[in-house]
Amino acid sequence: MRITILNGNPNKDNQGFNEYVEKLSEALTSQSHSVRTLQLKDMDIRYCIGCFGCFDKTPGECSTAADDSREVRREYINSDLVLFASPIIMGYTSALLKKPIERNLGLLLPYGAIIQEETHHPARYDKYPQLGLLLEKNSDSDDEDVEIISDMYMRDAINFHATLCFTKLTSEPIEEVINEINCI
Amino acid sequence: MKLTVFNGSPRGKGGNTKLYLDHFLRGFEASEGNTYELAYLNHVKNQDKFLQMFREAENVIIAFPLYCDAMPAMVKTFIESLKPLCGQKDNPSIGFIVQGAFPEAHQYRYVERYLKKLASRLGCNYIGTIVKGQGHGANEMPKSFNKPFTMFYKLGQIFGKTGEFDTELLRKVAGPEKLSKLMLAIFRFLYKTKIGTKYWDDRLKANGAYKKRFDKPYTREV
Repeated sequence: MRITILNGNPNKDNQGFNEYVEKLSEALTSQSHSVRTLQLKDMDIRYCIGCFGCFDKTPGECSTAADDSREVRREYINSDLVLFASPIIMGYTSALLKKPIERNLGLLLPYGAIIQEETHHPARYDKYPQLGLLLEKNSDSDDEDVEIISDMYMRDAINFHATLCFTKLTSEPIEEVINEINCI
Repeated sequence: MKLTVFNGSPRGKGGNTKLYLDHFLRGFEASEGNTYELAYLNHVKNQDKFLQMFREAENVIIAFPLYCDAMPAMVKTFIESLKPLCGQKDNPSIGFIVQGAFPEAHQYRYVERYLKKLASRLGCNYIGTIVKGQGHGANEMPKSFNKPFTMFYKLGQIFGKTGEFDTELLRKVAGPEKLSKLMLAIFRFLYKTKIGTKYWDDRLKANGAYKKRFDKPYTREV
């Protein structure tokens, strides 16, 4: 399976998280998955400014900033699975991870469609990756936070024509994350 | 009452969030002695100033559009900057306004749950969250938004007197939680017609991009 991991850890002092992601990536590779990890912290990704140029000026592409979000979009849409990885910060995934997700809007068409009895945007591409979520809990977060984040990503998955297949914590063994991925 | 308002729209003064906020704030100001200060979170370099404003605030409203089922990244950056204030005793009361284009209120309830938890995480009294969908075209056709704008005015007016969001108005302004079977059928039909695609097709044509509307720029060449 072709897997992209978006590492949204903004804190260089939190090496434990990066090591977990790295070990996961190595283990998946050894099981003959094709894995690419994007270290968002080292990439130049601007905030979405809500211009909708990706809908009506340069369809499918951001018309405002030609930055590293292009790399994220390319990897994202050509993957079978995208794993969103982030420590929990103030009860949610990092702003660093949220930035490229917003910049993905152009992966959809501007128009409306009814999906699961709700209004959403129709697909621009033939195929979208399934989604997974990897979180790191800390002293400031509890099970309710994990549930809230997971629910919000489940919603985002509907918008991006996918399913949130699992939410795992870095406190769990890497093998369990791999099991989840191999079940997709 | 003193109010500190953060407009979290990435489109800043050009966004729909401002339209709703304007009406809310006019209602708020209807009570004598009420004053507010306002900051735009899309001025992302001003984080220190935003934090200082929050520290000194008595009541805070954070307003933003729903971006990919959550607060915009700009708003999350601001929220992360509030971390040192968690659990401090003199934190302000806090309320939220979340608006967006998707019509059913259900789509906004998930972030609402996050915001309520955020208030408790900060140790802030939670005023509530005003949810408003179906904001498509508020900027282009403000006249057709007179009804919700009036509700925002009233919400602001009551908040200005009581410090609370009126429960009945919250329910009214949110509209239906889900679309009825009839509405779903109508939307399903419209989306397949020129009427349903007109808004975006007009904009695509005006930008000379109509022929490229189905482009897939990221398809990998095999």
